[in-house]
Amino acid sequence: MPEILVQYEAEIWGAIGETFVMVGVSIFAAVLIGLPVGTLLFLCRKGQMIENKFVFSTLNLFVNIIRSFPFLLLVVFLIPFTRFIIGTAIGTAAATIPLSIIAIAHYSRLVEQSLLDVPRGVMEAAISMGASVKEVIFKFLYVEARSGLVLGLTTSIISFISYSTIMGVVGGGGIGDFAIRYGYQQFKTDLMIYMIIIMVILVQLIQFTGTTVSRMIDKR
Amino acid sequence: MIKLHQVSKNFSQFQAIKSVSLVINKGEIHGIIGASGAGKSTLLRLMNLLESPDDGEVEVNDQKLTSLSSIDLRQARKSIGMIFQHFNLVANKTVFENVAVSLELANYPKKERRNRVMECLQFVGLETFMEKYPSQLSGGEKQRVAIARALANNPQVLLCDEPTSSLDPNTTAEILGVLENVNKSLGVTIVIVSHEMEVIKSICNRVTVMTDGEIYEEVSIEPKGIQDIDDSPKRFVEQLTKDGEMHHA
Repeated sequence: MPEILVQYEAEIWGAIGETFVMVGVSIFAAVLIGLPVGTLLFLCRKGQMIENKFVFSTLNLFVNIIRSFPFLLLVVFLIPFTRFIIGTAIGTAAATIPLSIIAIAHYSRLVEQSLLDVPRGVMEAAISMGASVKEVIFKFLYVEARSGLVLGLTTSIISFISYSTIMGVVGGGGIGDFAIRYGYQQFKTDLMIYMIIIMVILVQLIQFTGTTVSRMIDKR
Repeated sequence: MIKLHQVSKNFSQFQAIKSVSLVINKGEIHGIIGASGAGKSTLLRLMNLLESPDDGEVEVNDQKLTSLSSIDLRQARKSIGMIFQHFNLVANKTVFENVAVSLELANYPKKERRNRVMECLQFVGLETFMEKYPSQLSGGEKQRVAIARALANNPQVLLCDEPTSSLDPNTTAEILGVLENVNKSLGVTIVIVSHEMEVIKSICNRVTVMTDGEIYEEVSIEPKGIQDIDDSPKRFVEQLTKDGEMHHA
């Protein structure tokens, strides 16, 4: 192993850990809140099962506004909110708040798109069999859209990693922050390149896993 | 068995169904025929409230669907089977799962589900296809699975929306044979929407001809076939040809 990696081993592992925490919480938020939000976006559309203009417009506006922020500005803008939730605006835990917000907005849009790909006839068949809204969602929509949902989550996770790299501005740490502080600001270009390599490997692994899983569960 | 009373349905400015009344008797195979845009599919979809009417009443199995709560409506739909032109199977479920989901929705006892699915698949001759996915089946096989799924909960009525329109002539005959069998051996009342005369002629007892959202006429058909009956069926045929010409014009 290159000497410089040995020298900074502890810090590097720490940075990787921080990235995992930030991205992990984002994934959690995306699935726990982004998935339902995306499903509501889909179901509240005109002509869909629980058509509701108010809910649709509200969620749609929320998602659009969050996604139109340059992410760095969103982080700064959310500082009061973060302080309210976490008690501080600085550190890895605080960094998870803006990341979760963007994660929800990002994934919910991809969920909506995946659900739009489910043939309308499948939902009609479900309704004609007497399925409730909940049954339509879990026994038909998610089953039929599952490979798209997995691919969407894969894309999202990779974006979360990218977003997490700038969390250094609020002391969030992570691989990106480490690469900037040690690699760029202290002129250890080789260290920066190693960090980039770690990120590339991480993204490759995630994309490979996502693609493989989505192909395995796609029987269409 | 099915009663539509002065039912109307509009799609924005377009009047798809104009105050139509129709009675379909128990045990009948009832055809609905007409040119595209005549409102035949809409009329069928009103029978399980897949489209809810703007006006009028829909009664199926002695239940007024139009005055049921949404929970009761879902319950009522479990005894009204439906099949579609494009089959509408869940592509990510196996043949077995596609039929089983219909039982799940009806809270059919878990232990007996497997047997019931097998029975239904045997009825349509697909018992060896259980573990296959729809993408591995031909069109005719998919429609058989859809029929098995629709029959799982022992419906009294089977609504068929252009069931053979994406099938070749041989497969069409096969599927019509299955439907006839559903009617004869299970006593299920069948309503078939089709734009193909051959389909209607070969299995229907009675036919409703639709034009422009209205019933043009109702015709009884003897089993021997439409060409042997005089007068009214001729009008029916003429009407269809006229519609056809209008369409080409």
